[in-house]
Amino acid sequence: MNTLNEKPIYNDEIVKLFTIATVFWGIVGFAVGLFIALQMAFPSLNIGEYLTFGRLRPLHTSAVIFAFGGNALFATSYFSVQRTCRARLWGDGWAKFTFWGYQFFIVLAAIGYVTGITQAKEYAEPEWYADLWLTFVWVAYLIVFLMTLKDRREPHIYVGNWFFLAFIVTVAVLHLANNVSIPVSFLGAKSYPAWGGVQSAMIQWWYGHNAVGFFLTAGFLGIMYYFVPKRTGRPVYSYRLSILHFWSLIFIYIWAGPHHLHYTALPDWAQTLGATFSIMLWMPSWGGMINGMMTLSGAWHKLREDPVLRFMIISLAFYGMSTFEGPLMSIKTVNALSHYTDWTIGHVHSGALGWVAFISFGAIYHLVPVLWKRDGLYSMKLVNMHLWIATLGIVLYITAMWVSGIMQGLMWRSYDSMGFLEYSFVETVMAMHPFYVIRALGGSLFLIGALIMAYNLYRTVRGDKAPEATQVGETAHA
Amino acid sequence: MIDWLTNNAGMSGLLFFFIVFLCIAGWSYRPGAKENMESHKYIPLEGDEQ
Repeated sequence: MNTLNEKPIYNDEIVKLFTIATVFWGIVGFAVGLFIALQMAFPSLNIGEYLTFGRLRPLHTSAVIFAFGGNALFATSYFSVQRTCRARLWGDGWAKFTFWGYQFFIVLAAIGYVTGITQAKEYAEPEWYADLWLTFVWVAYLIVFLMTLKDRREPHIYVGNWFFLAFIVTVAVLHLANNVSIPVSFLGAKSYPAWGGVQSAMIQWWYGHNAVGFFLTAGFLGIMYYFVPKRTGRPVYSYRLSILHFWSLIFIYIWAGPHHLHYTALPDWAQTLGATFSIMLWMPSWGGMINGMMTLSGAWHKLREDPVLRFMIISLAFYGMSTFEGPLMSIKTVNALSHYTDWTIGHVHSGALGWVAFISFGAIYHLVPVLWKRDGLYSMKLVNMHLWIATLGIVLYITAMWVSGIMQGLMWRSYDSMGFLEYSFVETVMAMHPFYVIRALGGSLFLIGALIMAYNLYRTVRGDKAPEATQVGETAHA
Repeated sequence: MIDWLTNNAGMSGLLFFFIVFLCIAGWSYRPGAKENMESHKYIPLEGDEQ
């Protein structure tokens, strides 16, 4: 019988594949994001039938959320579940199926988007055949994860794995409920959803908001709970707080979706319920953020020495900021100004770029030398360069969208003394142009940062070492 | 029983989940459990990553 001290042979080949896919899809997703940002600033860039904003926008959102974020979650969950269970990942063949099956889903969805095949549900655009395929892949993912937990040699299931499991299970439930549809024909792509009217809208935003809550939050908190302690070499600040964090987040998040439907046909009580639960989310979100940040308690000097750790802690700062802003925007009077404006876009990107991407970058920088058995990264100087270029990009992006969005909202609601609208719609679009250019500049900086990361990781995998005085952070983790 | 639950699903569901949450919070913060509970936080730091 295996004992706790025996070292299992981990399946890192699958983690390597998902890590490579994360970097690849990240760059694709960021590049498409930059292109559509430029299309907003310069509409003449809408070229032909296949490269219009309407078709590329879901390509961007799916590429960054499901392709970049999804692959990052597969990589980090497969990596950390093995280490925290002290067991090899269950089912090599099943794990490989999740990799190739997931990449196939991404390509299938992307081809649909550019050719105009969509069921027109935000963040759930793929048609029935792609949804069905994803269901098989996701069930395989759940089985691999659960069986690894079952095979564990560590008696306790570490809290990071709770977050990963909640992410896998809840995303499955959301995906199944929101995508119930009836295909028009067996060989045709078109289908019609089973839900209609306001029920359909409610189910869509129950799905949409919990895609944020469980895909982009719970899953990435799983990353935080493993990689931040690992990188700092210190345990998480409070394990009991992490339990409270988990259950409060799970109980509350699922109810917050209706705040996407303020001032619509959705019953007023449901809108108020969504806003109330969104405000209640402040507490678990900030509890988790504080738990992550305070892991550095007594070791704050490590932030000065290690840019990889800096990525992780800045990501937590952005998590705190966006989880403060989200509940604020769910208040109906604030939402009356912010909804349908660029403020929402800025809010989403402070979470997506600042939290999701930064914690992923931090985890990837930590993972690659371990997976490829290198002493450290090729260049810490390049990590630092990536950090600051990307941070500057995010700040430019979100500040431009704040100003643009609030201006847009104020212009829409301006009336003259006769009661007529003060501005026509096209005047608001013209007023936003400078901010769209700044947003594109921010996006280009973020993309440049990711390209620097890809180069740094490539040289790391090759086993190169930069001949520079950048070994401070390296020695901290040698 | 079923009829009563159907008619009062909102309030009974709210109370049920709230009580479950309170039980979880009470369980994790119960006096005397701190040492055992906090010992789990060392799991990621034990063992070799390679």
